[in-house]
This record gives sequence, C-alpha cells and structure tokens, in this order.
Amino acid sequence: MATEILARRKMRISRSGLTGLVIVIFFFLLAVAVWAGWAGQNWSAADGERWASPGSTWWFGTNQLGQDIFERAVYSVRTAFEIGIVVSLLSTALGAALGAVAGWRSNTLADGTVLWLAGVLDSIPFYLFVAAVAFALQGLPWAMHVAMIATFWTATARLARAEVMKIKSREFVLSARAIGLPSWLILMRHVLPNTLHILLIQASISFVAAIKTEVILSFLGLGVQDGVSWGLMLAESTQEVLAGHFNNFLAASIMLFLLLLGFNLLSDALQDSFDPKQAAL
Amino acid sequence: MPWFLRKLSHGGLLILGVTFISFSLMVWFGPDQTYTLIGKNATTEQIAEVREQLGYNQSFVVRYGHYLADLFTFNLGASNSSGESVNRILQKTIPVTLALMLPGFILGNLLGIALALLATGKKDQWTDRLITGFSVTGMSISFLVVIIFLQVLLCTPYGLNLFPVRGWQVSGLASYLYYVTVPTLSLIFITVGYNTRFFRAVFVEEAGKDHIRTARAYGASTMTILWRHVLKNSLVPIITRFMYTIPLVVISGSLLIESYFGIPGIGKATFDAVTSGDQPVLKAVVGLTAVAFIVIQLFTDFIYKLVDPRIA
Amino acid sequence: MTCWGKLNPVIPFTAKLLTLCLAAIALLAVTACDDRSSAEPGADHSYRIYRHAMDGAPSSLDPAQASNIYANFLAVNLYDTLYRYKYLARPYQVEPNLADGLPQVSSDGLIYTIGIKPGVHFIDDDAFPNGQGRALRAEDFVYSIKRQFDPKTRAQGTWLWQGRIVGLDEWKENGSDYQQDIPGLKALDDRTLQIQLVAPFPQLVHTLAQGYSAIVPREAVEHYGQEFAIHPVGSGPFKLQRFNSAGAVLLRNPGFRQEPFSLEAEGFDPALHGSYGLDALEGLAPPFTDRIELEFIAEDASRWNAFLAGELDFVKVPVSQFDQVLQRRDPPTLEATLAEKYHLLANLESGFVHTDFNMSDSKIGEHPDPLQNVRNRALRCAIIKAFDWPKRNEVFYYNIGQVFPGIIPPAAPEFDPQQDQSSVKRDLDGARALLAEHGWNPANLPVLEYGFPSSVTERQMFEQFRSFLGDIGYPPEKIRPLTFATYGDYAKAYLNREVMLVTTGWTMDYPDAENTMQLFYGPNASPGSNSANYQNDEFDRLYQSSSSMQSSPLRTTMYRNMNRIVIDDCATISGVSRKLILLWSRNFRMLPDRSFVGGFFFRFVHTGSPGATTVEQVP
Repeated sequence: MATEILARRKMRISRSGLTGLVIVIFFFLLAVAVWAGWAGQNWSAADGERWASPGSTWWFGTNQLGQDIFERAVYSVRTAFEIGIVVSLLSTALGAALGAVAGWRSNTLADGTVLWLAGVLDSIPFYLFVAAVAFALQGLPWAMHVAMIATFWTATARLARAEVMKIKSREFVLSARAIGLPSWLILMRHVLPNTLHILLIQASISFVAAIKTEVILSFLGLGVQDGVSWGLMLAESTQEVLAGHFNNFLAASIMLFLLLLGFNLLSDALQDSFDPKQAAL
Repeated sequence: MPWFLRKLSHGGLLILGVTFISFSLMVWFGPDQTYTLIGKNATTEQIAEVREQLGYNQSFVVRYGHYLADLFTFNLGASNSSGESVNRILQKTIPVTLALMLPGFILGNLLGIALALLATGKKDQWTDRLITGFSVTGMSISFLVVIIFLQVLLCTPYGLNLFPVRGWQVSGLASYLYYVTVPTLSLIFITVGYNTRFFRAVFVEEAGKDHIRTARAYGASTMTILWRHVLKNSLVPIITRFMYTIPLVVISGSLLIESYFGIPGIGKATFDAVTSGDQPVLKAVVGLTAVAFIVIQLFTDFIYKLVDPRIA
Repeated sequence: MTCWGKLNPVIPFTAKLLTLCLAAIALLAVTACDDRSSAEPGADHSYRIYRHAMDGAPSSLDPAQASNIYANFLAVNLYDTLYRYKYLARPYQVEPNLADGLPQVSSDGLIYTIGIKPGVHFIDDDAFPNGQGRALRAEDFVYSIKRQFDPKTRAQGTWLWQGRIVGLDEWKENGSDYQQDIPGLKALDDRTLQIQLVAPFPQLVHTLAQGYSAIVPREAVEHYGQEFAIHPVGSGPFKLQRFNSAGAVLLRNPGFRQEPFSLEAEGFDPALHGSYGLDALEGLAPPFTDRIELEFIAEDASRWNAFLAGELDFVKVPVSQFDQVLQRRDPPTLEATLAEKYHLLANLESGFVHTDFNMSDSKIGEHPDPLQNVRNRALRCAIIKAFDWPKRNEVFYYNIGQVFPGIIPPAAPEFDPQQDQSSVKRDLDGARALLAEHGWNPANLPVLEYGFPSSVTERQMFEQFRSFLGDIGYPPEKIRPLTFATYGDYAKAYLNREVMLVTTGWTMDYPDAENTMQLFYGPNASPGSNSANYQNDEFDRLYQSSSSMQSSPLRTTMYRNMNRIVIDDCATISGVSRKLILLWSRNFRMLPDRSFVGGFFFRFVHTGSPGATTVEQVP
C-alpha cells in the first residue's frame, strides 16, 4: 500500500540533480576521510610563516597564525557534515513526529498546541532566537545544534501535518482503522512512509540552512567553539581581506559555495521528481 | 465564538508564548550584565548591589510579570548600558534601519518578481533554465560571503574603492546613496535567489490553471497573460510573503548588515544588547517584534477574510 | 527624527505606517541622521574642525561610569577634573586643572586642602533655572564623589576612594543621604575643599585626574535621571552636540576659562617635540578647536580605510597595516609617501596583557599537599618556559610590542630595564626537563581550560598557545577552550574563579606601579582584580608597607622585589605592553596620547597651516 504510492513517484533525476549528487558525494567522501584520520588532521598546528602564498608546501597558503588553510578548509568539511547531519536528521524527525500527531489528531488540543508552538517559534526573529539559545546553553558544545533544531522543525511539522491530514482520509488508512489497528501502528506503518518524500526534501533543505546558519553564528562568536569551520575561517578572513590577504576567504567561501550548491541542486531535483507542479515551494 | 474574537485570542496566546520563550531565553538564561557594570576591585557586596539594581535577585515569575506589564504599557525602561530610554533608542534607530533596509528589500522583491515572470513566460526554455540556475546559485552563497565580497570589491583599494567601508553619516540624498548602496546591493544579492524561486513557483502554478489556459487558447499574448492574469491572480501570495518577511528581514537581516557595516540602526542596537546583556533593550526588541509580527498576521488574515469570506 | 517623534515606537511595523514610510523614504534618509548642516557656521574659514577616530565606543558619558579609555576621553572633555597630566612632560606629571594649585598636604599626609579656580561655570542647560549655567562650587565636588557612593548611581570608580576617606563608606552604609555631611570630605567655602584620609594615600592626587572624579552639577543629575548619561552638563573645554554608538560631536565650550598655553609648564622639549609645530601655540588659550568629530570605529580595516580616504585627521594604525605603513620598526619610521602627509608617534600603552594561572585551582595552582604544590609550580614554570613571546609579539603585535618580565610594565616609572629576562625567554629543553623531573607526562598532565570571550583574535591567541605547548609534548586535546559569548560572561566566570587560565589586559589608572602590584595582592583576590587569586605573605607584607609611601628609591626597590616574587612563583605568563602607532595629519599641531594624558590632549589640538614638511625623528 505504502510502497505502492511511493512506487508511483518514479525517480526521474535531472542532469543538474545528478551534478548535485556528485558534488555531495564528493564532499561526503572528504568528510569520511577526515573522520577516518586520512586528511585535514593538521588543522591546528601554527608552524608556518604568516600569510604564506599558495604553493607546494601550503596548497592554499597560510593564515595569520601560520596555519595551513588547506588543512583547515578540508577539516571544515567534517564540521559542516556533522552539523548538517545532526541538525537535519533531528529537526526533520522532530517535525515529522509533531506534525504527524497534529495532523492525525487535527483540531484537537494536541494539534492546537503544536501549531501554537510552531507559531510562537516562527514569530521570533531567527538570528535573535538562535543567538539566544546559543547563549542560554553556553558552554554546551551542542548549543548551536539545539538552537537550529528548535527552529527548523516547524516548517517540516506544518508540511507533515497537511500531508497526514490528506492521507488519513485515504481508503487504505480507513480500512486499517476499520480492522481496529492502533493509531500509532497505522501512523508508523501506513501514514508516515507516505510522507517520506516531503521529509527527504525537508532534510536536504535543513542541511543547507544548518550550514549557512553555522557560518553566521560562528561569525558572531556563538558557533563552533573547539575546532575549525568555514564560518570561523570567514570570521578570520573579515580581518584579513581588508589588509589584502584573500586565501582564507577564497578557500572557505568556495568550498562552502560548492557544497551548498550541490545540496540545492539535489533538493531541487528531488522536488521536481516528486511533484513537478509544486516545485520550489 | 465570532471569527475576529477567535483570531484575537489566538494572537494573544501567541504573544504570551513568544514573550515567555524569549524572556526565558534572553533574560533568565541570558547574559549577565552585572560583571560589566561593576568597577575594578568590586566587593561581593557591590556585586550584590548591582544585581539588585538590575532586578536580577527577583524571582522568575515576578520578573516575567513585570516584563508583560511593561510591554503592554509601553513602559520599556532605560538601557542598562547608557541609561538612554529604550523608547528614544527605538525612535533613533528604527528610521535608520528602515532607510537602510527598505530599498534593498523592495528592489530584491521587484527583481525577484520580474525574473520569475520572465522565467514563467519562457518556461522550460533556456531563459528559464538560466534564471533558475542563477537563483540556485544565489541561494548557495552565504550572506557573510556576499557582504565580505562586495565590501572588498566596492569599498577597498583592492577593488573599485567607490563607497565607504562602513558607517552612516547621512545628511542628504547624495550621502544617503553613498552609504546605502553597498548594504542594499548585499541585501538584493541575498534575497533575489530565494525570491525568484518562490515567485516562479507561484506563477508557474497560476499559469497552469484552467482560465489561463483558456485565455491562451483564445490567443492572448504571453505578456498580456503574465500581466493581466498571472501577476494579478498571484497578488495574495505576493503580499503575504511581503508582510511576513518584513519583520524578519528588518530585524534578522539588519542584525548582520548593521553590525558589519557599523550602522546605528535597530539591528546593531539589538546586537550590542545581545553581546552586552542589556536586557531592557533586548526585551523591548523581542517583545515588539513579536507583537508586530502577530499584528501583521491578524491583519493579513483579516484582509483575506474580506477578500474571501470562506477562509476561517 | 521629526517624522517619528510623536509616533509610538510599535507602530512603524504596521502596514499602514509601512506605506507611509515607503512614501517618505527620501525624507527618512535625511531625518535618520544628524543635521550637521544646521550647526555648521557655513563658510567661516576660521572654524576649526578636528576629526578623531576611536577604536571603541563609550556606552555612557556619565563620569561615574568612565571605566574605559573611551568613556574617560569624553568625560575629561565634557567635565572638569581637579587635576590633569601635563601635555608633553614624560614621565607623566600631575598638573592643576580646575584646582588652583597642587594640594596642600598636612605633615602626616592625611589632610589635603585644595583650592578651586574662580569664575568657573557649568554650560548653559535646561537643568538650571533660566537655562543658565551656574558657577561651579567646591560643594559640587563633594556631591560628585558622594554620588559615586550612592548605589543608585551604579558607579564604577568607587574602588579609587573606598576605605580611604574618613566617613565616606559610613555615609554609604547609612543610606547615602545627601543631607548628611562626611567628615573627611568637606567644602570649607565655595572655593576650598578639604579631604581627610584614613591612612596616607600618596596616589590620591592621581585619582583626582581620573574621569571618575569629574565634577557634575546636582541639578543636571536630578533633572535628567538615568538619561543624564547621555546629557552631559559640565564645565569642561567642550560640550556635547551629538552622541550615538557610531560617533560623537563635541563643540568648543565658549565659556571655558581662558588660560594661556605655556610650553614650559606643559613640559615642552624642543629636541622631542620641536617638529610638531607646537611652539606657535605659546600664549593662546585652549581649546584651540571649535568642533571635534569623534568616530567610534571598532573594525581596524574600516578605520584605516576611512583615514586613508581623508575622512579622519587622526588614527591608531591597525596592527595588520604595520608592514605597509612602517619603513622601519625600531624606531618606528613612516614610509616616505606617508611621512609627507602625516606625523607619527609610537605610543607605549600604559598597561599590559598577561595570562594568569588561577592559583586557587588545585589542578594548576596552590595545593594543600606540599609535594603536589611543588609539582604544580613546576608545571606552571614549564608552561611559562614553553611560551614563545617573540612569536606572540610577531604575530599579534608585529614585533612592535614590548615584552617584559613580571608585572611592572615599561610605562610605569618603577620599570627596571636591566632586570633578568629569563622569564620571557623560551626554553623548551628546560621546560621538558622540569616536567620530567617532577613526574609529569602526557598521561598525567591535567586538562587546561583556557578562557576567552569569543572573538577571532582571542581564539587565535588560544590556538597559538596550544601550539606552543604542543612543542613540549602537551597533548593538544588536553588544552581546551572555554569560550564566552560576551566579555561580561567571561568576567563573571573568572571573578567566580571558574577559569583556569585567565588572559586579561590591565590599563594603569595612574603612573605608579602600585596600580599593578595590587593585581597580585592577596586581599584583592576575586572578585577583586587579583584574578590569579595569588596569595603570598611576603608579597602582601611588602605591598602593605609600600602602599603608604611616597615615591622613593626604597619604594621602587620594594616594588621590584615584589615583582621578583611573582615571577619566582610562576603565577602568571607576563607580559607584553603594546605599542600604538598613532598617525595624524600634518595640518594639525598636536601630540596625541592614549595613556595618562589621554583625553586631556583634545583641548590642545590646533589646526595649523599645512606648511611643516620636515620628517621628524620619533622620540
């Protein structure tokens, strides 16, 4: 039943979507290499000369401290994936759970509460909220992640809620109810799997948003605390570019751009293939 | 319950929620200003004195109650840092922010609408693909990268060196243009990708509807269809987006632009309040933004109700 | 501002007003700024303007909150202090400002009698009856100091006088009643003050040259309430026209007392100051400038670019530009093209940056077990030996900073240039040997928590520190950042003794090393300014006996002994005094200063002719 609906949505991946996929896989492999300890391990050592030019020793040059920009940029891929994966998975899961409950029990107190909470969170200016959470949880390494999850789930929840409301009046759900299956089982087995396409798209959108937000938060001093990220590199570069040193800026912004582009192309293609008419909402 | 009362109570609940969450986060768990206000070699008693002055020694309920009361009587108090009244800070900074953000906001939306119309008119042709590709590219660039890049390009000897690196010394139209250009370009750059994509989706959906197909079948030109039908019928989502993004763009967007370009608007005031823990200012900004946001929602709902009474 | 003045601040967000704003956007552009044009006396060429950049902004203009250099700069220009520092004399010397001479001190050093110059008036302001500034009286000084001890003021300068003046602390304990008199703080008549001390306090006269001690009129404090902080009403050489977080504009106070400028009295030395064109000022009455435009620009590059673009007359050169600006580092000499347009001064800061070990933390500081105590000291000493000061100086201060051992910075008169430099020499072998000798190895070394407020430079300093320790085999994962989003939160943590390694800068309040000695005085431990929580009986004994002594060779020896004690205990990684490179346009006859003269130099800034083009030798 559920699989049947999914099967009708034939995956037709466009050429640009394929490009996106290749980029994402490339960066993911890079992240794996960093995790495994094959690359980017020397990001912290400050043993080079200051602002060395790119060359055979320092591929992307060095920063003010004499740190290897290439090593730092590569290590940052891992940071980006850690943030992206944690935030997109958890925020999508949270959004799906709350949205499903709200949609299943629409127009009840539970539904109202979820909608109210989403409305409240959406009414607080985003950066202000994220900064405030990061502040309140200061000292916790996960402060930034919590802040993003707390805001990103609302969009997913609204979409999931709408979809669940649509699905629950479908025949296969009604018949499952008729034979007396408990609600949670119907939700888990029949309803949620049919919202997977929405969740997949939302996860890829959250991934992009998480990486972009990390950059801003790190610039504001509320992001990555121990380690290195493109956001921290860009924050460093704000001081350097005006003195004419562009290596940090170029390395971080180009890699950041490529990864975001890959994800955006991929999520575009996903949306197109699942629902060409509703593309880009 | 009548429709309007229901909406109003809904808005009231939202305001309660927003103020509660923002109060808990920004005030109760927020930065502690005591230690920036004490002098050198402060004693424990002096620290206690300052905490008392700031009201930190009161309970959560009391402080939250005061906050709500102050917010609804617009008795916003005075900044802990400068002693300036929050009302005056808002009066001084909000016009700066509007003057700074509105041109970029409006141009970003207009440009987005224009590109989206163009893309819809040439759907699935190379123009459409170019515009879509352009908007995806725009969406993949970080705000921070754009600001740094434009600043280097336009404001430094490494680039064209045409505009000031930062600041806001506006005393007439010429100086206004001098200071507003780079922030405006940054804002357009950032928003146009998202806007184009959003509006294109709206227009494409509208263009697929039956009455448009009918008009097309009767031989109306593409331009006429786009202008007369698609754009006109899409006014509701366009206005909704406008209304909903204003408070967020003004506060969130200006937070970054103003603190980066050193412009004394509401965003910088908020950012300074965040980093110094100046709670009266923070409370006012968050509370008022929430209220404004919810008022706009109510207002929008009300307009819809007028347009289409079926909407509840 | 006019279009918003009457509107409630909430309304701008509503749609109605939005429409209005869209229509009024051009108008907004004009109202959203200062209306400079209306204040400028048009084409009058004798009108002199000086544009000065500061690298930070004061948040308050209330002298009671003049806790940082920026606030102090403004306070001493908008208000009068009894004393100031001589413009040119180095080492710095106290000079009467509002006082009519140096204080008369009783033979036991306890009673100070100070006369006040006649005919001084506050500026005209609505706070006064009829809006006319009234005469300044000795009673105003008494009020201004009392006010600091009123908790409602939230003053930050009370530590200068706390426990020093007879009856002042009791006055506060009794509820800060302004009707009550203080026995040790009296106006004998309108022009005579008397201060009675609890114990001799030779630094008292220096405290009377601080912005904190500036004299405020009670009427204005009461009239403006909390907003007094942005409505200064003083008797200083300038009055405020405009102030916000981006800048301030000061106008000459036309009622400021006319006193002819005397080169000799200010400590003029033709050899040092001859090239600045100051001799033309002899006999003129300051302030020489009609309008001072202050720009608060925290971002280095922005400030520098604004200066190069001709938008500023004075700038503190950002460290990152030293390579481009300086032809030579020692002595700092300008590039030829810049030297044609600008004067240069290398101004040694009156303070230093140091990283303290939290001695109350038993993992790194004092330990009840004597054996462990010795091991901890060895660990601290090894860390100090691993610290690479030349590298720190090169990366963050472009080798312009002055590294020195201990806690008497070079700006202090008691500084000893001949002292043993070994505590700032890197000695990796020595460090490793020390660790090995005391049984430290990568497995049992403690986790170090290095605190800093989150900013790029602070983070880079941390990473450099971690890299230094890596060179003696300290595992990087055992050196952790403890970051804080704001300086206030950082201060809260270290004042509550929660940070293991505390990096702070100290700016001396007056040219006397007592001011840095107290940083390591036991009773000043956190939340006092002894953030190392250092306790050493011998040190404390020396501090107590030296603190009531007038400057003398004996006192200098005592200070140097105290310095030695701190170095021997390896309580702090110290230190470096930054050297500031100041540039100003050759059109100006002036000698800027960021140390003790600080804001007092504004009154002496003079727009001269652009004639002088000789390249000066830097003092």
